[in-house]
Amino acid sequence: MRYEFRIDGDISETLAKGFPELEHVVMAGQTVLYGQVLDEAHVYGLLARFQALGLRLAEMRRLPE
Amino acid sequence: MAVREDAGSRRVRTGTDPSGAPFLRARLSLPTVPATFLRRQRLVHALDEASTVPLTVVNGSAGAGKTLLVADWAAGLGLPVAWMTCDAADRAPGMFWAYLREALRGADGTAVPGVRCPAEAGRVDRGLLARLAIALADRERPVVLVLDEFDRVTAPEIAEQLGFVLHNAGPGLRLVLVTRSEPLLPMHRYRASGEMAEIRNADLAFTEAEAGELLTLHGLSLPGSTVDGLVRRTGGWAAGIRLCALAARQRPDAESYLKEFEAGRSTVADFLLAEVLDGQPPERQELLLRVSVLDRFRPELVNALTLRTDAEAALAALHRENAFVQHLDHSWYSLHPLFAEILRVHLRERRPGLEPELRRRAARWLHRSGALAEALAQGAAAGDWEFTAGALVDDLALGQLFTGLRAQHLSGLFAGMDPRAAGAAPELVRAALDLSRRDVAHGLARLRRAEGTLLADGGDRRPAALLGCALLEALAARLTGSPDAAEQAVRTAEEVWREVPAQLLDAHPELSALLLTHLGSARLWAGRFDAARAALTPVVACPPSAATALPRLEALGMLALVDHLTGWNDRARHKALAAAGEAERQGLPAGSGPLAGRLVLAAVSVERDELDRAEDLLDATADEPAPAGDPVTAAFEAVVRGRLRLARGDVHGARVPAVPAAVPSPWAEEHAALVTAAAHLARGRADQALTALQDAPRDRTACAVETARALLVAGRADEARELIEHLPRAERQGPAVTVRIALVRAQAAHRAGDTGAARRLVAQALLDARREQLRRPFLEAGPWIRPLLRNSPRLHGLAEGWLTAPAGTGARAVSRPAAERPPAPLVAERLSGREREVLERLARMLSTQEIAEDLHVSVNTVKTHLKSVYRKLGVGRRAEAVRRARDLRLL
Repeated sequence: MRYEFRIDGDISETLAKGFPELEHVVMAGQTVLYGQVLDEAHVYGLLARFQALGLRLAEMRRLPE
Repeated sequence: MAVREDAGSRRVRTGTDPSGAPFLRARLSLPTVPATFLRRQRLVHALDEASTVPLTVVNGSAGAGKTLLVADWAAGLGLPVAWMTCDAADRAPGMFWAYLREALRGADGTAVPGVRCPAEAGRVDRGLLARLAIALADRERPVVLVLDEFDRVTAPEIAEQLGFVLHNAGPGLRLVLVTRSEPLLPMHRYRASGEMAEIRNADLAFTEAEAGELLTLHGLSLPGSTVDGLVRRTGGWAAGIRLCALAARQRPDAESYLKEFEAGRSTVADFLLAEVLDGQPPERQELLLRVSVLDRFRPELVNALTLRTDAEAALAALHRENAFVQHLDHSWYSLHPLFAEILRVHLRERRPGLEPELRRRAARWLHRSGALAEALAQGAAAGDWEFTAGALVDDLALGQLFTGLRAQHLSGLFAGMDPRAAGAAPELVRAALDLSRRDVAHGLARLRRAEGTLLADGGDRRPAALLGCALLEALAARLTGSPDAAEQAVRTAEEVWREVPAQLLDAHPELSALLLTHLGSARLWAGRFDAARAALTPVVACPPSAATALPRLEALGMLALVDHLTGWNDRARHKALAAAGEAERQGLPAGSGPLAGRLVLAAVSVERDELDRAEDLLDATADEPAPAGDPVTAAFEAVVRGRLRLARGDVHGARVPAVPAAVPSPWAEEHAALVTAAAHLARGRADQALTALQDAPRDRTACAVETARALLVAGRADEARELIEHLPRAERQGPAVTVRIALVRAQAAHRAGDTGAARRLVAQALLDARREQLRRPFLEAGPWIRPLLRNSPRLHGLAEGWLTAPAGTGARAVSRPAAERPPAPLVAERLSGREREVLERLARMLSTQEIAEDLHVSVNTVKTHLKSVYRKLGVGRRAEAVRRARDLRLL
């Protein structure tokens, strides 16, 4: 499964490295993190990590394969 | 014998958590509020308002200021406050409730009188929770329980249990949940019924006025427009405003810095934290990065990670500035969870490869200072398995893999062990995991390897490791039914016992409890009952604690089994019931006492002819989560099942399969032979019964008695009498044995025509059996006994009310009051196969004609069978016959 997560604000390179499994791109005051996730548990794990790092999730969606 | 003496006198230390970790106080203490904390009256009021409802949920994002808000409010309450910071380990219900109980006790010594600590991490029974709730409900004034970081408790069952306790504690408990995410409680229901107050993210957000005050506290006075901009940019997020204040303080021109920040687009926390971090002196930055791998820390531990000596002052300063560091109890600190998370990301980025090294150092420091649980967690996270396994083994904590609240957690931790980790300790831990899974073959092979390595390395320098080996040897011996090996293991343990520091032995009462339990089980297998008692009694005598709960219960169950096997059913029953009660008090599910104890209760029920109860008890053991896996329980279970089938009249199914073990067990063989022989006798096959008893140990009273019975049935009365005359004089045999001796003597006397002697002996048997309600020996005795009971008023009187129904019905009562249950004949003669077939069709409401057609016999033959069925069941009509047959489980 491929997912993308939109985070409010531009995240630093350092913080982006906290998600080595995802690519990221910064655009218009948002950071898009995207990539392959293993399963549902992985998705929830990522959400918890966003929360733990004080990131605000604006949007998430599953990408067509 | 050191092991034995010490087992009884071990004291369980108070003030340690159930798993022995000394971090209890830090997890259960209110965080102190720093000087720059701003009390926001509107939120304090909201919390005060909430005092009237049972549940308050403070729900907001990381860094929203939840913890300090509630800590500040709770400190000024004037009510007992129990504070608990949740932990990942709390995913296990037993651990969660153990800590919660401890938190309540810390708040108010009288909060939960009489509620025991759960014995297992994985399960907590309703009963324990109910007792906890009742204890709270009985309070005169409420206790306020704060669960901080409740989002770490992810198990739905814990949320459900918490709801149960909250509901039943009534006004005695006020629960405050502090969490980042919606708890799994039925929030909508609480909302609808107005039983819950909520403070959510929007409420926690700083207003412009509050932000202005907070900045003032940080020594910044700024124009309103700047403050408004800051609140807009951060969304009023506490951590953002605080970090901003700190970053601005580091600049010569705070105002323009804040303006720039307002116009920026980076994510707030990440950006600001980097700003603030970079504004710190380099050694302070290094300290913050390095402590991010720790949950909690003291200055000495921090020094071990920074390789400096100034941690104490640095931590105090950081706490004063309240950027990152929270002050807990005494000299313990922790990082703010949000900042810890971000700092860890920075650590990996800025100091690649340092993290495992830091964790290794932390593990060693924690181990030296006696914090084993945290040392193991750090060592495992560092992938330093030789050290981690070594710490477990050298701390004498190998037994914690088998008993106590950490068993599950530790097994999980070491399940991730790198297969390449070599050395005695990793191998020992692997052996322990194998054995706990009852994989004896692999476990023993690994154990031998570990022992070889130890001896080669000079094991005398590692007495704790040798004790660990002895423990696993004893367990393997128990599982394989090798009594000699168990004795040898305990002798080895005694040899090194004195070499181990006394405080380690004191800290691990489970070690001797486990050793002696395994030894007792092996001795029991060998049929050495007195020796088994000697090993098991001290285990039961040691003070109850979570660490030793499981071996204690097992020992109690096995002592019950010894009583039962020596004929003392009532004593056995009391011990087994005590074990079941204790298991329940320790939060194990009701009816899940030790397996041996439950099998004893089933066996006693068979002896009392309470067959349904026996069956229920056996059914409950069938879906055990983990089998005890030792031959003692396996063999005894087979025996009880055999006896039950026999009692049900299933003479074909009453066989007891042998249980494989290193050495045979005399009692297991004896009881298997007895069941087989009794099944043959029930069908009148005396010769086969005698054959079955041929190889059974003749020196055992029960076998001799059964042989004599078979000889009498075979018409070899002289041989039977000869055997009865010379019955082995066993010491201290209980009623289950003596009653059967009296009955076979009576049977012999009856056969010889000496009715007076027969009556006297039956009377003696009745007297002996009455107190314990032993009905089975009379039901098995055979048809000769019925006329005796019927025709002798004295015997009738002795049997009335427990063996036979009250006068007039001439029938047998069973466990239920006679009113509830139709009287049954005293001894139901066995139905023949044909009679059974007729009876089954009768129950299906077939007419005599239809039965005859169905069985391809004449109607007259069916009528003959029916007459004989009625006679045997002691009834006169169809419907009665069917009812009675159902009662007797013939259908």
